[in-house]
This record gives sequence, C-alpha cells and structure tokens, in this order.
Amino acid sequence: MKTIKQVQTIILTGICFLFSLQASSQLVKNTTGGNQLKLVFENKVGGAKLVLGNGYTNPFGETYTIKKFRYYITQIQLLDSSDMSVQFFPNDYFLVDAGDSASATITVPLSVQHITSISFLLGVDSTANVSGVQDGALDPANGMFWTWNTGYIMAKFEGISAVAKVPGNAFSFDVGGFKKGENAARKIEMLTKTSKNKVINTIVINVDVNKWFNGVHSINIAGHPLCHEPGALAIQFADNYATMFSIQQMK
Amino acid sequence: MKYFSIISLCLFVIAGSALSFSFNQKNAPPTPIAFSVPQGWPQPVYDFKQNPVTKEGFELGRKLFYDGRLSKDGNFACASCHQQFAAFATYDHNVSHGFNNSFTRRNAPGLFNLAWQKEFMWDGGINHLDLQPLAPITDTTEMAENIDSVLNKLRADDDYKKMFRAAFGDETINTKRLTKALSQFLVMMVSANSKYDRVMRGEDSFNLPERLGYAIFQKKCASCHTPPLFTDLSYRNTGLPVDKYLDDFGRMRITRNPADSLKFKVPSLRNALLTFPYGHDGRFYSLLDVLEHYRKGVVNGPTTDSLVKNKIPLSNFEIGQLRAFIYALTDSSFIKDPRFAPPGYENRTPQAPKEHEHQYKY
Repeated sequence: MKTIKQVQTIILTGICFLFSLQASSQLVKNTTGGNQLKLVFENKVGGAKLVLGNGYTNPFGETYTIKKFRYYITQIQLLDSSDMSVQFFPNDYFLVDAGDSASATITVPLSVQHITSISFLLGVDSTANVSGVQDGALDPANGMFWTWNTGYIMAKFEGISAVAKVPGNAFSFDVGGFKKGENAARKIEMLTKTSKNKVINTIVINVDVNKWFNGVHSINIAGHPLCHEPGALAIQFADNYATMFSIQQMK
Repeated sequence: MKYFSIISLCLFVIAGSALSFSFNQKNAPPTPIAFSVPQGWPQPVYDFKQNPVTKEGFELGRKLFYDGRLSKDGNFACASCHQQFAAFATYDHNVSHGFNNSFTRRNAPGLFNLAWQKEFMWDGGINHLDLQPLAPITDTTEMAENIDSVLNKLRADDDYKKMFRAAFGDETINTKRLTKALSQFLVMMVSANSKYDRVMRGEDSFNLPERLGYAIFQKKCASCHTPPLFTDLSYRNTGLPVDKYLDDFGRMRITRNPADSLKFKVPSLRNALLTFPYGHDGRFYSLLDVLEHYRKGVVNGPTTDSLVKNKIPLSNFEIGQLRAFIYALTDSSFIKDPRFAPPGYENRTPQAPKEHEHQYKY
C-alpha cells in the first residue's frame, strides 16, 4: 500500500511538472511588457516625405520617380555613456521597405536608463552572408539576395528617370557585397544629445534618399543608371548612404 | 482506501499515457538517417549539425527535386536537367533546355558527393549548398520562377503541409525549410561505388587497359582531378578560348579579378561516361575531344594554367588506356539507387549504357 502511494505521488508530481513546463513556456512568449524603444525611420527626399511613385529631383537636377526603396538594419546598439551600460541586438534583422509603412517602425526592449548614442549596421553582416539560407527578414524570398553570386543586397533604390538611358528608363541601385574590400554594410552611429533625466521611448530617424547621389561621392543617374554587383561603384554608393541618417526627434 | 488508490493510480496511468500519446502525435520527431563517409575519404564540409538528415526531410527533398511546380510553368523540375541515368547531369546535351524554349548558358554538372563541396556552380559563385537551388529556380533561362510563388504553390498543397510538418515539426513553409529539405536529399547522393572504388577496397581488380590507364592518369591528370573526389575543386583556365556568343569569363564574374578570367571549376571525373558533353559550355562532345584538346588544342592566354599551357603529351595508345580507366569511374549502383529515383518510380531505375552504346561525333 505504501509503495502504491509513493508511485502515485511520483506520477502526480510528474504530471504537475509537465503542466508547469508548458505554463512556463507560455509565460516566456507573453513577456512583451516593460520598457520599449521605438525607432521610426522616416524616408525622405531632401526635406519632402518619400512617396513611391511621386516625382523628385536629385542634387544634379535630374528628375526621377521612386519605385523601390528598401534597406536592412541590424546590430542595433544603445549606449549610456554615463554608466557605460550597453544594449546590443546582434541577431535581430529588420528590412525597412518604403512600400510597407509598418516596416518603418522597429521596436526593441529597453533597459538602458539614458540613451546617449545609438548605432546600427545598415546592411547584413558577413556571417549571415556565408551561413546558408536564413529566415524572417533575411529570407531570400524577400528579393534582397543575389542567388547567382551569394550575397545580400544591403539596400535597394530603384526608379524611373528620363536621363537613365537603359530599357524603360529604369535606373536601379542594388548595393551589396560582403567580401574583404567590397563590404557595402555601413555602421551608423548617432549621438542623441538629450538631457540626462529625459526618458526616451521613441527616436525618429530621418532617412534622406538624395544622399545616395552626393553623400560623399558624386554619382548621377545619367552616368550610372545601374549598380547590380559588388565592387567599386557599390562601395561609393555605400559611402554615400552611410550619410543618409540623422536624428529628427526624440520623445 | 486501497481500492481508491488502485483506481486513481490506473486513472493517472491512463491519463498520462493519453497525454503522451497526443504529445507524440503532434510532435513525432523525424527519424534520423546516418551519413556515412566512404572509407579513406575526407570528412564532408557540409554542416550536418545545422541540418541533420532525417527520413522525412530526405523524402520531402526528393519530392521537391522531382516537382515541376518549382518552375514558372510547371515543366522544369530540378530533375529535368539533373537526370539520375546521367549521374544527375543532362544526358547528351551541351547545355540544357529551360523555360520558354531557352537554353541554359552552361553545361549541367552531375550531382554527387556534394557534401564535400564548399562552393557551387562552374564559377563557384554560391557559397553554401542550401543556397544553390535558388539560382536555377530564379534564373530566367532555367526554372524562371520567383521564390515567393514557389512557396505559395507549396503552401496550397496539403501533401506538402504534412511533409513539412513531419520533417520540421510544423506546417511552416519558408525558403529555409525548402532548401534544407533539398539539401538533405542532395547530400545523401554519394557516388563511391565505381569499379575504381571496388578495386581500391580490394573487392575487384583492374583489367590491363584500366591498370595502364590508371598509371597514366596518376601521372598526367591527378594533380587537378584528384582522388577520391576526382577534382581538387580549384578554378583553372584550361585553355578554352571564350565563346563569343556566350561571352562567359567564368570565375572573373564572381571575383571581379582579371586573374580569374576564363577560370572554371575542375569537374569531377566520376561518372564521366554518363556526363558527356564536357567543358563548362559542353563544347567537347566526347572524351576523345577532351583529350585531343589537352594534347593539341590548348589556347594560351594570360591566365592559362601552368599545368596545361605546354599541352599534355598523350599518344593515341595512352588516350585509349585513359579512356578505359575513366570508364571504370562509372558508378552503376548510384544511377540505379532507388532512394534517388522519382517518388513512385523506385523499381524503374535505368541501367548504365554499355561502353559500345556510347556515341561519338568525329
């Protein structure tokens, strides 16, 4: 009789344990409360809001409309220089797409007390370029991947311009490259310049697509309507797009 | 009290087993398949930890490999250019046929021993086996489809839902799972049972021409076509002038380095009897054409490989013996292996052609 009771207790405990396991796994999934930081990317052309299909003029006076504007963001890092606390999200990848307004807001959990600077990588780190097929934002089905010469397209800017002497006047800048000497990913770092006691939950970041033409190097559409592989031109575009971000607002 | 305890114990046991039964139904783990490395071979480079091969994943990969729905019009499965009876090359075609009456730009290589390869395609542009299928799926001269619509076609198919769940635990169908399943099928295609392999294992012996051919091979071919893979997987310019219509400069397109101009991956000589025509663009119809090229036809340029730029001296007699040896690299059990046959065709695999049935063009 005693043995039966013991066995019964063991089984009961076992079942309780199983249920508790299940419960705890659900608990983890639901932990989305707590402090969060929203990064809002506002795509612009000069000072104007970027709207796909609308007409704009670049710094060379070339008029164009935008069909696609997309870029990868990863390795977001938040730094509090007062106590050197850091939050780093190396394995979270986001694809910001001007054609999908929801993609412009990135939310990360926030534990840093006072953000003094924020940095992120525009593009995809080389490890993810040599590790086979990824999912989520990095799924090759998202069209930001070269299948014939392995590598992610870090950022894509495509449109129509009469000065683009190519079929359909369709210029396209698909910028990528991860190998040594051809890396088109760029680390962006920005100081927040906020007062120490202000609690920040949203950072609005200006993204000026016109910087692709003259951020560092001068590249016009007429001279270079196409960029479709890693190399010298892609590097110049990368240097340029590294300058397209600026903090517009913190709240 | 006693009865109560016994009854409650029984109830618990029943409840417990019912619980574990429903648990198993939901998440029955797939059955692992062991990958065995042939005796004397190096360790494979494919990372099996990231993609353990299972029966369910392998079978899903096999179905996908033979499914035309991976192409835009439904006509071009992987298997339409990679035929088992040709050691998964395209039999008797310099280049293959793709979507909308197009020709591919290069000769389809045989598919075997892929677990030992780090880079894929004639130019090595693809750096992981899992990524490889995405190139033919999206190439406008091959399957001409986009990845998203392949995934949508598969998601609409209940059989695939079941097979993805069996292989990966749930019904999610994405690019990663699609390509991992294909890789599970592809890595298992090990070809290591030719007469040469049986001789090396001491189970068979060469006849005289094969033995003489093996000696010539070791002296004049093996530095690039290195056993056991019969390729050193390097990229070399073997003196083939560029075809002005194809305009294909090989590896230079990948590295943008002029030093790589006209370099292509050294192909494996395994199953060469079945994978004719030869060369990256299939310009050599027969083995005789290839060997003739090496003794007379090499065209030198700035990147021509030092091992061939003075041509390779070969007598007619040596060519005959070499051919006998190369034919001994044919793995007839591989091309008849029912594991790699189209689903439902396991008992209808082909026979290897006899040597005298092999056609030559002079």
